Amino acid sequence: MIEVENFSKSYAGFRAVQGISFHVDKGEIVGFLGPNGAGKSTTMKVLAGYLPPTDGKVSVAGFDVVNDSIEVRKRIGYMPENVPLYTDMRVNEFLRFRAELKKVTRRKIKDRVESVKQLCSLKDVENKIIGTLSKGYRQRVGLADAMVHEPDLLILDEPTIGLDPNQIRAVRDLIKDLGKHHTILLSTHILSEVELTCGRVLVINRGRIEASDTPANLTKLVRGGGSIALEVKAAGAEVVAKLKTVPKVDDVEVDLTAEGEWTHAKIFAEPGVDVREAVYRVVRQNDWPLRELTRVKATLEEAFVELTQD
Amino acid sequence: MAFWTLYKRELNSYFQSAVAYVVLFVSALAQGLVFAWLTGRVIDANYKDQSVMQLFFNFPLFWILLFVQIPLITMRVFSEEFKLGTIEMLLTAPVTEWDVVLSKFFGAVSFFLVLWLPIVLDLIALQIFSNPEPPVYWSQLGMTALTITLVGGFYVSIGIFSSVLTKNQIIAGALCFVFIFGAFCLALQKWVAHLDSATLDRISYISLLEHLQNAVLGIFDTRPIVFYVSMTAFMLLVTKTILEGRRLQS
Repeated sequence: MIEVENFSKSYAGFRAVQGISFHVDKGEIVGFLGPNGAGKSTTMKVLAGYLPPTDGKVSVAGFDVVNDSIEVRKRIGYMPENVPLYTDMRVNEFLRFRAELKKVTRRKIKDRVESVKQLCSLKDVENKIIGTLSKGYRQRVGLADAMVHEPDLLILDEPTIGLDPNQIRAVRDLIKDLGKHHTILLSTHILSEVELTCGRVLVINRGRIEASDTPANLTKLVRGGGSIALEVKAAGAEVVAKLKTVPKVDDVEVDLTAEGEWTHAKIFAEPGVDVREAVYRVVRQNDWPLRELTRVKATLEEAFVELTQD
Repeated sequence: MAFWTLYKRELNSYFQSAVAYVVLFVSALAQGLVFAWLTGRVIDANYKDQSVMQLFFNFPLFWILLFVQIPLITMRVFSEEFKLGTIEMLLTAPVTEWDVVLSKFFGAVSFFLVLWLPIVLDLIALQIFSNPEPPVYWSQLGMTALTITLVGGFYVSIGIFSSVLTKNQIIAGALCFVFIFGAFCLALQKWVAHLDSATLDRISYISLLEHLQNAVLGIFDTRPIVFYVSMTAFMLLVTKTILEGRRLQS
Protein backbone atom coordinates (compact mmCIF):
# COMPACT_ATOMS: atom_id res chain seq x y z
CA MET A 1 0.00 0.00 0.00
CA ILE A 2 2.81 2.38 0.90
CA GLU A 3 6.23 2.12 -0.70
CA VAL A 4 8.94 4.49 0.48
CA GLU A 5 12.41 4.22 -1.00
CA ASN A 6 15.32 6.35 0.07
CA PHE A 7 13.07 9.25 0.87
CA SER A 8 14.60 12.50 2.14
CA LYS A 9 13.02 15.83 2.93
CA SER A 10 14.83 19.08 3.55
CA TYR A 11 13.45 22.38 4.73
CA ALA A 12 15.60 25.38 3.92
CA GLY A 13 18.81 23.43 4.33
CA PHE A 14 17.66 21.40 7.33
CA ARG A 15 17.33 17.71 6.59
CA ALA A 16 14.16 16.62 8.41
CA VAL A 17 14.11 13.12 6.96
CA GLN A 18 17.26 11.42 5.76
CA GLY A 19 16.90 8.69 3.20
CA ILE A 20 14.38 6.38 4.87
CA SER A 21 12.83 3.32 3.27
CA PHE A 22 9.87 1.31 4.46
CA HIS A 23 6.71 -0.24 3.18
CA VAL A 24 3.28 -0.88 4.57
CA ASP A 25 1.16 -3.73 3.25
CA LYS A 26 -2.56 -3.70 2.66
CA GLY A 27 -4.53 -4.31 5.84
CA GLU A 28 -1.74 -3.47 8.26
CA ILE A 29 -2.08 -1.09 11.19
CA VAL A 30 1.29 0.53 11.57
CA GLY A 31 2.27 2.83 14.41
CA PHE A 32 4.69 5.58 13.66
CA LEU A 33 6.72 6.50 16.73
CA GLY A 34 9.44 8.99 17.39
CA PRO A 35 10.32 12.00 19.50
CA ASN A 36 9.02 15.44 18.57
CA GLY A 37 10.80 16.74 15.50
CA ALA A 38 11.89 13.29 14.38
CA GLY A 39 10.24 13.66 10.99
CA LYS A 40 6.94 11.86 11.59
CA SER A 41 4.60 14.63 10.51
CA THR A 42 6.82 15.49 7.56
CA THR A 43 6.71 11.92 6.32
CA MET A 44 2.94 11.83 6.73
CA LYS A 45 2.52 15.09 4.84
CA VAL A 46 4.53 13.67 1.98
CA LEU A 47 2.48 10.47 1.98
CA ALA A 48 -0.68 12.57 1.88
CA GLY A 49 0.56 14.33 -1.24
CA TYR A 50 0.80 17.71 0.47
CA LEU A 51 4.58 18.08 0.35
CA PRO A 52 6.86 16.69 -2.33
CA PRO A 53 9.85 14.60 -1.30
CA THR A 54 13.23 16.29 -1.77
CA ASP A 55 14.72 12.99 -2.81
CA GLY A 56 13.69 9.38 -3.23
CA LYS A 57 10.52 7.68 -4.34
CA VAL A 58 7.26 7.61 -2.40
CA SER A 59 4.21 5.85 -3.75
CA VAL A 60 0.81 5.02 -2.35
CA ALA A 61 -1.33 2.25 -3.85
CA GLY A 62 1.03 2.17 -6.79
CA PHE A 63 0.72 5.88 -7.56
CA ASP A 64 3.60 8.29 -7.22
CA VAL A 65 2.84 11.06 -4.71
CA VAL A 66 4.30 13.74 -6.98
CA ASN A 67 3.22 12.72 -10.45
CA ASP A 68 -0.14 11.20 -9.54
CA SER A 69 -0.90 13.35 -6.55
CA ILE A 70 -4.63 13.54 -7.27
CA GLU A 71 -4.92 9.75 -7.61
CA VAL A 72 -3.07 9.33 -4.33
CA ARG A 73 -5.29 11.86 -2.57
CA LYS A 74 -8.42 10.06 -3.75
CA ARG A 75 -7.26 6.90 -1.99
CA ILE A 76 -6.15 8.27 1.34
CA GLY A 77 -7.89 9.77 4.30
CA TYR A 78 -5.49 12.13 5.98
CA MET A 79 -5.99 13.67 9.37
CA PRO A 80 -3.35 16.35 9.91
CA GLU A 81 -1.86 17.20 13.27
CA ASN A 82 -4.02 19.66 15.25
CA VAL A 83 -6.98 18.91 12.96
CA PRO A 84 -7.55 22.14 11.06
CA LEU A 85 -11.28 22.60 10.31
CA TYR A 86 -13.50 25.35 8.96
CA THR A 87 -14.73 26.78 12.23
CA ASP A 88 -17.64 28.63 10.65
CA MET A 89 -19.32 25.48 9.33
CA ARG A 90 -21.71 23.10 11.02
CA VAL A 91 -20.63 19.48 11.49
CA ASN A 92 -23.18 18.14 8.99
CA GLU A 93 -22.45 20.83 6.49
CA PHE A 94 -18.70 20.29 6.80
CA LEU A 95 -18.85 16.53 6.35
CA ARG A 96 -21.15 16.88 3.34
CA PHE A 97 -18.76 19.46 1.86
CA ARG A 98 -15.77 17.18 2.39
CA ALA A 99 -17.58 14.15 0.98
CA GLU A 100 -18.51 16.11 -2.12
CA LEU A 101 -14.97 17.40 -2.45
CA LYS A 102 -13.60 13.89 -2.17
CA LYS A 103 -15.84 12.78 -5.01
CA VAL A 104 -18.30 10.64 -3.10
CA THR A 105 -21.18 10.18 -5.53
CA ARG A 106 -24.24 12.29 -4.87
CA ARG A 107 -26.39 9.27 -4.05
CA LYS A 108 -23.97 7.99 -1.43
CA ILE A 109 -23.13 11.24 0.32
CA LYS A 110 -26.02 11.06 2.78
CA ASP A 111 -25.27 7.46 3.72
CA ARG A 112 -21.56 8.04 4.13
CA VAL A 113 -22.01 11.14 6.27
CA GLU A 114 -24.53 9.32 8.47
CA SER A 115 -22.26 6.34 8.87
CA VAL A 116 -19.12 8.31 9.82
CA LYS A 117 -21.17 10.36 12.28
CA GLN A 118 -22.32 7.11 13.82
CA LEU A 119 -18.78 5.69 13.92
CA CYS A 120 -17.30 8.80 15.52
CA SER A 121 -20.24 9.43 17.88
CA LEU A 122 -21.00 12.82 16.41
CA LYS A 123 -24.77 12.43 16.28
CA ASP A 124 -25.41 14.78 19.20
CA VAL A 125 -23.37 17.66 17.76
CA GLU A 126 -24.29 17.27 14.09
CA ASN A 127 -25.91 20.70 13.89
CA LYS A 128 -23.39 22.58 15.95
CA ILE A 129 -20.91 25.05 14.55
CA ILE A 130 -17.43 23.50 14.58
CA GLY A 131 -15.94 26.61 16.20
CA THR A 132 -18.00 25.97 19.32
CA LEU A 133 -16.96 22.31 19.73
CA SER A 134 -14.49 21.04 22.29
CA LYS A 135 -11.11 19.63 21.31
CA GLY A 136 -12.35 16.06 21.60
CA TYR A 137 -15.26 16.61 19.27
CA ARG A 138 -13.12 18.43 16.74
CA GLN A 139 -10.73 15.53 16.79
CA ARG A 140 -13.59 13.21 15.97
CA VAL A 141 -14.87 15.50 13.22
CA GLY A 142 -11.37 15.30 11.72
CA LEU A 143 -11.43 11.53 11.95
CA ALA A 144 -14.90 11.40 10.39
CA ASP A 145 -13.62 13.63 7.59
CA ALA A 146 -10.67 11.32 6.97
CA MET A 147 -12.99 8.32 6.59
CA VAL A 148 -15.91 9.85 4.75
CA HIS A 149 -14.85 8.71 1.26
CA GLU A 150 -13.95 5.18 2.39
CA PRO A 151 -10.25 5.49 1.58
CA ASP A 152 -8.02 2.46 1.25
CA LEU A 153 -5.43 4.06 3.48
CA LEU A 154 -5.87 6.20 6.58
CA ILE A 155 -3.01 8.45 7.65
CA LEU A 156 -3.66 9.77 11.14
CA ASP A 157 -1.25 12.22 12.70
CA GLU A 158 -1.69 11.95 16.46
CA PRO A 159 -5.38 11.04 16.41
CA THR A 160 -5.77 10.84 20.18
CA ILE A 161 -3.89 13.93 21.29
CA GLY A 162 -6.03 16.12 23.53
CA LEU A 163 -8.67 13.50 24.24
CA ASP A 164 -9.78 12.31 27.67
CA PRO A 165 -9.12 8.69 28.68
CA ASN A 166 -12.61 7.54 27.70
CA GLN A 167 -12.37 9.17 24.33
CA ILE A 168 -8.90 7.71 23.79
CA ARG A 169 -10.32 4.28 24.47
CA ALA A 170 -13.18 4.93 22.06
CA VAL A 171 -10.84 6.11 19.31
CA ARG A 172 -8.56 3.15 19.93
CA ASP A 173 -11.43 0.73 19.52
CA LEU A 174 -12.52 2.60 16.42
CA ILE A 175 -9.05 2.33 14.89
CA LYS A 176 -8.90 -1.37 15.67
CA ASP A 177 -12.26 -1.79 14.00
CA LEU A 178 -11.25 0.24 10.97
CA GLY A 179 -8.12 -1.86 10.67
CA LYS A 180 -10.30 -4.75 9.53
CA HIS A 181 -11.05 -3.00 6.22
CA HIS A 182 -8.45 -0.26 5.92
CA THR A 183 -4.72 0.11 6.00
CA ILE A 184 -3.77 2.54 8.75
CA LEU A 185 -0.63 4.49 9.49
CA LEU A 186 -0.88 6.45 12.70
CA SER A 187 1.53 8.47 14.74
CA THR A 188 1.21 8.90 18.45
CA HIS A 189 3.09 9.48 21.67
CA ILE A 190 0.84 7.21 23.66
CA LEU A 191 2.79 3.97 23.60
CA SER A 192 0.22 1.82 25.32
CA GLU A 193 -2.08 2.69 22.46
CA VAL A 194 0.42 1.37 19.94
CA GLU A 195 0.83 -1.85 21.89
CA LEU A 196 -2.90 -2.38 21.84
CA THR A 197 -3.72 -1.41 18.28
CA CYS A 198 -0.74 -1.70 15.98
CA GLY A 199 0.54 -4.84 14.34
CA ARG A 200 3.81 -3.18 13.56
CA VAL A 201 5.78 -0.21 14.78
CA LEU A 202 8.12 2.08 12.91
CA VAL A 203 10.44 4.02 15.16
CA ILE A 204 11.92 7.11 13.59
CA ASN A 205 14.55 9.32 15.16
CA ARG A 206 16.40 12.27 13.71
CA GLY A 207 15.03 11.55 10.30
CA ARG A 208 16.09 7.89 10.26
CA ILE A 209 14.19 4.65 10.82
CA GLU A 210 15.59 3.07 13.98
CA ALA A 211 13.41 0.00 14.09
CA SER A 212 10.51 -1.66 12.32
CA ASP A 213 8.94 -4.61 14.08
CA THR A 214 5.99 -5.82 16.09
CA PRO A 215 5.57 -4.17 19.49
CA ALA A 216 6.35 -7.50 21.16
CA ASN A 217 9.61 -7.94 19.29
CA LEU A 218 10.64 -4.37 19.96
CA THR A 219 10.33 -4.86 23.70
CA LYS A 220 12.58 -7.88 23.38
CA LEU A 221 15.31 -5.56 22.18
CA VAL A 222 15.36 -4.03 25.62
CA ARG A 223 17.85 -6.01 27.70
CA GLY A 224 16.48 -9.44 26.90
CA GLY A 225 12.89 -8.35 26.95
CA GLY A 226 12.61 -7.56 30.61
CA SER A 227 14.02 -8.14 34.05
CA ILE A 228 13.31 -10.01 37.27
CA ALA A 229 12.51 -8.06 40.38
CA LEU A 230 13.72 -9.60 43.62
CA GLU A 231 13.35 -8.32 47.15
CA VAL A 232 15.22 -10.14 49.94
CA LYS A 233 16.47 -9.40 53.41
CA ALA A 234 20.22 -9.38 52.83
CA ALA A 235 23.11 -7.02 52.21
CA GLY A 236 23.12 -5.49 48.75
CA ALA A 237 26.70 -6.35 47.88
CA GLU A 238 26.23 -9.97 48.87
CA VAL A 239 23.09 -10.29 46.78
CA VAL A 240 24.86 -8.96 43.71
CA ALA A 241 27.88 -11.21 44.17
CA LYS A 242 25.82 -14.39 44.67
CA LEU A 243 23.33 -13.74 41.88
CA LYS A 244 26.00 -12.96 39.34
CA THR A 245 27.24 -16.54 39.63
CA VAL A 246 23.90 -17.83 38.34
CA PRO A 247 24.35 -19.08 34.76
CA LYS A 248 22.86 -16.90 32.00
CA VAL A 249 22.44 -13.88 34.25
CA ASP A 250 23.89 -10.86 32.50
CA ASP A 251 23.64 -8.20 35.10
CA VAL A 252 22.27 -7.46 38.54
CA GLU A 253 21.37 -3.97 39.65
CA VAL A 254 20.95 -3.07 43.30
CA ASP A 255 20.55 0.28 44.96
CA LEU A 256 23.41 0.08 47.48
CA THR A 257 22.52 3.38 49.09
CA ALA A 258 19.03 2.23 50.06
CA GLU A 259 18.32 2.15 53.78
CA GLY A 260 16.77 -0.70 55.75
CA GLU A 261 17.62 -4.36 55.65
CA TRP A 262 15.62 -5.21 52.53
CA THR A 263 17.42 -5.18 49.23
CA HIS A 264 15.64 -4.69 45.93
CA ALA A 265 17.50 -6.19 42.98
CA LYS A 266 16.86 -6.05 39.25
CA ILE A 267 18.17 -9.12 37.43
CA PHE A 268 18.79 -9.07 33.67
CA ALA A 269 19.15 -12.40 31.93
CA GLU A 270 20.09 -13.37 28.42
CA PRO A 271 17.28 -12.90 25.87
CA GLY A 272 14.57 -15.52 26.09
CA VAL A 273 15.91 -17.22 29.21
CA ASP A 274 13.82 -17.50 32.36
CA VAL A 275 16.16 -17.55 35.37
CA ARG A 276 13.54 -17.31 38.09
CA GLU A 277 14.01 -20.90 39.23
CA ALA A 278 17.78 -20.52 39.47
CA VAL A 279 17.36 -17.29 41.39
CA TYR A 280 14.99 -18.97 43.80
CA ARG A 281 17.60 -21.69 44.50
CA VAL A 282 20.20 -19.07 45.33
CA VAL A 283 17.76 -17.40 47.69
CA ARG A 284 17.04 -20.72 49.43
CA GLN A 285 20.70 -21.73 49.67
CA ASN A 286 21.50 -18.49 51.44
CA ASP A 287 18.31 -18.59 53.46
CA TRP A 288 17.41 -15.02 52.59
CA PRO A 289 13.91 -14.03 53.67
CA LEU A 290 12.05 -13.38 50.40
CA ARG A 291 9.14 -11.04 49.81
CA GLU A 292 9.14 -10.50 46.05
CA LEU A 293 10.16 -12.43 42.98
CA THR A 294 8.47 -11.25 39.80
CA ARG A 295 9.13 -11.04 36.14
CA VAL A 296 8.89 -7.46 34.84
CA LYS A 297 8.18 -7.30 31.14
CA ALA A 298 9.94 -4.54 29.24
CA THR A 299 7.49 -1.94 27.99
CA LEU A 300 7.39 -0.35 24.62
CA GLU A 301 8.22 2.83 26.44
CA GLU A 302 11.58 1.43 27.46
CA ALA A 303 12.19 0.25 23.93
CA PHE A 304 11.27 3.69 22.68
CA VAL A 305 13.62 5.39 25.10
CA GLU A 306 16.43 3.00 24.27
CA LEU A 307 15.99 3.45 20.53
CA THR A 308 15.62 7.18 20.47
CA GLN A 309 17.96 8.35 23.20
CA ASP A 310 21.54 9.14 22.43
CA MET B 1 -16.99 19.39 -9.89
CA ALA B 2 -14.47 20.22 -7.21
CA PHE B 3 -14.62 23.83 -8.40
CA TRP B 4 -18.38 23.95 -7.94
CA THR B 5 -18.20 22.45 -4.44
CA LEU B 6 -15.53 24.90 -3.40
CA TYR B 7 -17.34 27.82 -5.01
CA LYS B 8 -20.52 27.08 -3.05
CA ARG B 9 -18.51 26.88 0.16
CA GLU B 10 -16.77 30.20 -0.60
CA LEU B 11 -19.97 32.05 -1.35
CA ASN B 12 -21.63 30.55 1.72
CA SER B 13 -18.77 31.58 3.94
CA TYR B 14 -19.37 35.24 2.99
CA PHE B 15 -22.89 35.01 4.28
CA GLN B 16 -21.62 33.48 7.53
CA SER B 17 -19.38 36.39 8.41
CA ALA B 18 -20.39 39.56 10.18
CA VAL B 19 -17.88 41.67 8.25
CA ALA B 20 -19.62 40.82 4.99
CA TYR B 21 -22.97 42.02 6.33
CA VAL B 22 -21.44 45.25 7.56
CA VAL B 23 -19.90 45.86 4.14
CA LEU B 24 -23.21 45.01 2.48
CA PHE B 25 -25.12 47.35 4.81
CA VAL B 26 -22.70 50.26 4.35
CA SER B 27 -22.63 49.75 0.56
CA ALA B 28 -26.42 49.65 0.29
CA LEU B 29 -26.81 52.69 2.50
CA ALA B 30 -24.18 54.76 0.69
CA GLN B 31 -25.53 53.78 -2.73
CA GLY B 32 -29.08 54.59 -1.70
CA LEU B 33 -28.24 57.96 -0.16
CA VAL B 34 -26.09 59.14 -3.04
CA PHE B 35 -28.59 57.88 -5.57
CA ALA B 36 -31.46 59.69 -3.85
CA TRP B 37 -29.42 62.88 -3.55
CA LEU B 38 -28.38 62.83 -7.22
CA THR B 39 -31.96 62.15 -8.29
CA GLY B 40 -32.99 65.22 -6.32
CA ARG B 41 -30.32 67.27 -8.08
CA VAL B 42 -31.47 66.07 -11.51
CA ILE B 43 -35.06 67.07 -10.76
CA ASP B 44 -34.18 70.43 -9.18
CA ALA B 45 -31.63 71.53 -11.74
CA ASN B 46 -33.61 70.05 -14.61
CA TYR B 47 -30.60 68.20 -16.05
CA LYS B 48 -31.02 67.34 -19.69
CA ASP B 49 -27.68 65.98 -20.79
CA GLN B 50 -26.96 63.34 -18.14
CA SER B 51 -28.99 60.51 -16.66
CA VAL B 52 -29.03 59.73 -12.96
CA MET B 53 -26.99 56.61 -13.64
CA GLN B 54 -24.33 58.59 -15.45
CA LEU B 55 -24.14 61.06 -12.62
CA PHE B 56 -23.96 58.23 -10.13
CA PHE B 57 -20.99 56.52 -11.74
CA ASN B 58 -19.14 59.75 -12.43
CA PHE B 59 -19.49 60.56 -8.77
CA PRO B 60 -16.47 59.33 -6.74
CA LEU B 61 -18.63 57.11 -4.50
CA PHE B 62 -18.09 54.09 -6.73
CA TRP B 63 -14.34 54.26 -6.27
CA ILE B 64 -14.47 55.05 -2.57
CA LEU B 65 -16.69 52.03 -1.97
CA LEU B 66 -14.53 49.89 -4.22
CA PHE B 67 -11.37 50.64 -2.26
CA VAL B 68 -13.11 49.56 0.93
CA GLN B 69 -15.08 46.61 -0.39
CA ILE B 70 -12.36 44.77 -2.25
CA PRO B 71 -9.81 44.53 0.60
CA LEU B 72 -12.54 43.61 3.08
CA ILE B 73 -13.96 40.78 1.00
CA THR B 74 -10.69 39.35 -0.26
CA MET B 75 -8.28 39.73 2.66
CA ARG B 76 -9.34 36.52 4.37
CA VAL B 77 -9.63 34.17 1.41
CA PHE B 78 -6.18 32.64 1.66
CA SER B 79 -4.80 34.27 4.82
CA GLU B 80 -7.38 32.52 6.95
CA GLU B 81 -6.69 29.16 5.35
CA PHE B 82 -3.01 29.56 6.13
CA LYS B 83 -3.66 30.74 9.65
CA LEU B 84 -6.10 27.95 10.55
CA GLY B 85 -3.99 25.40 8.67
CA THR B 86 -7.06 24.36 6.68
CA ILE B 87 -5.09 24.81 3.47
CA GLU B 88 -3.42 21.48 4.30
CA MET B 89 -6.80 19.81 4.65
CA LEU B 90 -7.97 21.44 1.44
CA LEU B 91 -4.95 20.48 -0.66
CA THR B 92 -4.86 16.89 0.54
CA ALA B 93 -8.33 16.39 -0.91
CA PRO B 94 -8.34 15.51 -4.60
CA VAL B 95 -8.47 19.12 -5.83
CA THR B 96 -6.03 21.12 -7.92
CA GLU B 97 -4.59 24.53 -7.15
CA TRP B 98 -6.62 25.95 -10.03
CA ASP B 99 -9.83 24.65 -8.46
CA VAL B 100 -8.94 26.45 -5.25
CA VAL B 101 -7.84 29.74 -6.82
CA LEU B 102 -10.72 29.96 -9.28
CA SER B 103 -13.36 29.06 -6.72
CA LYS B 104 -12.06 31.74 -4.40
CA PHE B 105 -11.92 34.24 -7.24
CA PHE B 106 -15.42 33.62 -8.53
CA GLY B 107 -16.77 33.45 -5.00
CA ALA B 108 -15.36 36.89 -4.24
CA VAL B 109 -16.52 38.34 -7.57
CA SER B 110 -20.02 36.98 -6.93
CA PHE B 111 -20.13 38.56 -3.51
CA PHE B 112 -18.78 41.80 -4.97
CA LEU B 113 -21.68 41.84 -7.44
CA VAL B 114 -24.08 41.25 -4.57
CA LEU B 115 -22.66 44.41 -3.00
CA TRP B 116 -23.73 46.35 -6.11
CA LEU B 117 -27.22 44.90 -6.28
CA PRO B 118 -28.69 47.81 -4.27
CA ILE B 119 -28.00 50.26 -7.10
CA VAL B 120 -29.94 48.01 -9.46
CA LEU B 121 -32.85 48.06 -7.01
CA ASP B 122 -32.53 51.85 -6.80
CA LEU B 123 -32.73 52.13 -10.59
CA ILE B 124 -35.75 49.83 -10.71
CA ALA B 125 -37.43 51.89 -8.03
CA LEU B 126 -36.74 55.07 -9.98
CA GLN B 127 -38.21 53.48 -13.08
CA ILE B 128 -41.36 52.39 -11.27
CA PHE B 129 -42.07 55.60 -9.37
CA SER B 130 -41.17 58.14 -12.09
CA ASN B 131 -43.94 59.86 -14.00
CA PRO B 132 -43.59 60.08 -16.95
CA GLU B 133 -41.57 56.86 -17.16
CA PRO B 134 -37.98 57.64 -18.20
CA PRO B 135 -36.53 55.73 -21.15
CA VAL B 136 -34.24 52.77 -20.43
CA TYR B 137 -30.84 52.91 -22.12
CA TRP B 138 -29.92 49.25 -22.31
CA SER B 139 -26.53 49.73 -23.93
CA GLN B 140 -25.42 52.14 -21.21
CA LEU B 141 -26.73 49.84 -18.51
CA GLY B 142 -25.13 46.80 -20.07
CA MET B 143 -21.74 48.44 -20.59
CA THR B 144 -21.75 49.83 -17.06
CA ALA B 145 -22.59 46.44 -15.57
CA LEU B 146 -19.91 44.78 -17.67
CA THR B 147 -17.28 47.35 -16.70
CA ILE B 148 -18.13 47.13 -13.01
CA THR B 149 -17.79 43.35 -13.24
CA LEU B 150 -14.48 43.59 -15.08
CA VAL B 151 -13.01 46.25 -12.78
CA GLY B 152 -14.29 44.28 -9.78
CA GLY B 153 -12.80 41.08 -11.16
CA PHE B 154 -9.43 42.72 -11.72
CA TYR B 155 -9.41 44.21 -8.24
CA VAL B 156 -10.57 40.95 -6.67
CA SER B 157 -7.71 39.14 -8.40
CA ILE B 158 -5.31 41.67 -6.84
CA GLY B 159 -6.97 41.12 -3.46
CA ILE B 160 -6.64 37.35 -3.72
CA PHE B 161 -3.03 37.76 -4.76
CA SER B 162 -2.41 39.92 -1.66
CA SER B 163 -4.10 37.32 0.52
CA VAL B 164 -1.94 34.47 -0.74
CA LEU B 165 1.16 36.39 0.31
CA THR B 166 0.55 36.35 4.05
CA LYS B 167 -1.30 34.59 6.81
CA ASN B 168 -2.13 37.90 8.44
CA GLN B 169 -5.50 39.16 7.23
CA ILE B 170 -4.77 42.77 8.17
CA ILE B 171 -1.55 42.82 6.20
CA ALA B 172 -3.32 41.19 3.27
CA GLY B 173 -6.04 43.84 3.40
CA ALA B 174 -3.54 46.68 3.63
CA LEU B 175 -1.46 45.31 0.74
CA CYS B 176 -4.57 44.91 -1.36
CA PHE B 177 -5.56 48.51 -0.68
CA VAL B 178 -2.11 49.77 -1.64
CA PHE B 179 -2.10 47.74 -4.86
CA ILE B 180 -5.58 48.64 -6.05
CA PHE B 181 -5.22 52.27 -5.06
CA GLY B 182 -1.87 52.33 -6.88
CA ALA B 183 -3.43 50.82 -10.00
CA PHE B 184 -6.11 53.50 -9.88
CA CYS B 185 -3.67 56.36 -9.27
CA LEU B 186 -1.39 55.37 -12.16
CA ALA B 187 -3.84 57.10 -14.44
CA LEU B 188 -4.28 60.18 -12.26
CA GLN B 189 -0.90 61.59 -13.26
CA LYS B 190 -2.74 62.82 -16.31
CA TRP B 191 -3.92 65.71 -14.20
CA VAL B 192 -0.88 66.29 -12.06
CA ALA B 193 2.06 65.91 -14.42
CA HIS B 194 2.76 67.75 -17.67
CA LEU B 195 2.84 64.98 -20.24
CA ASP B 196 2.92 64.93 -24.02
CA SER B 197 -0.15 63.71 -25.88
CA ALA B 198 1.33 60.30 -26.80
CA THR B 199 1.89 59.45 -23.14
CA LEU B 200 -1.57 60.73 -22.29
CA ASP B 201 -3.03 58.38 -24.87
CA ARG B 202 -1.13 55.47 -23.45
CA ILE B 203 -2.30 56.29 -19.97
CA SER B 204 -5.93 56.07 -21.04
CA TYR B 205 -5.36 52.40 -21.81
CA ILE B 206 -4.92 51.77 -18.12
CA SER B 207 -7.18 54.47 -16.74
CA LEU B 208 -9.92 52.67 -14.85
CA LEU B 209 -11.70 55.96 -14.33
CA GLU B 210 -11.91 56.68 -18.04
CA HIS B 211 -13.02 53.14 -18.84
CA LEU B 212 -15.97 53.52 -16.51
CA GLN B 213 -16.81 57.01 -17.79
CA ASN B 214 -16.90 55.69 -21.36
CA ALA B 215 -18.91 52.63 -20.38
CA VAL B 216 -21.54 54.79 -18.68
CA LEU B 217 -21.97 56.59 -22.01
CA GLY B 218 -22.62 53.20 -23.61
CA ILE B 219 -19.40 53.19 -25.62
CA PHE B 220 -18.31 49.66 -26.45
CA ASP B 221 -14.55 49.42 -26.52
CA THR B 222 -12.70 46.14 -26.71
CA ARG B 223 -9.41 47.56 -25.40
CA PRO B 224 -10.41 47.84 -21.74
CA ILE B 225 -12.12 44.44 -21.93
CA VAL B 226 -8.93 42.82 -23.18
CA PHE B 227 -6.96 44.79 -20.58
CA TYR B 228 -9.07 43.62 -17.63
CA VAL B 229 -9.47 40.03 -18.73
CA SER B 230 -5.77 39.58 -19.43
CA MET B 231 -4.64 41.37 -16.25
CA THR B 232 -7.07 39.33 -14.15
CA ALA B 233 -5.88 36.11 -15.74
CA PHE B 234 -2.30 37.13 -15.12
CA MET B 235 -2.95 37.90 -11.43
CA LEU B 236 -4.71 34.57 -11.00
CA LEU B 237 -1.82 32.73 -12.60
CA VAL B 238 0.62 34.48 -10.26
CA THR B 239 -1.64 33.62 -7.29
CA LYS B 240 -1.80 29.97 -8.30
CA THR B 241 1.97 29.86 -8.73
CA ILE B 242 2.55 31.38 -5.29
CA LEU B 243 0.06 29.00 -3.69
CA GLU B 244 1.92 26.07 -5.21
CA GLY B 245 5.25 27.55 -4.19
CA ARG B 246 4.13 28.03 -0.58
CA ARG B 247 3.08 24.40 -0.38
CA LEU B 248 6.21 23.04 -1.97
CA GLN B 249 8.52 25.12 0.17
CA SER B 250 6.72 24.91 3.50
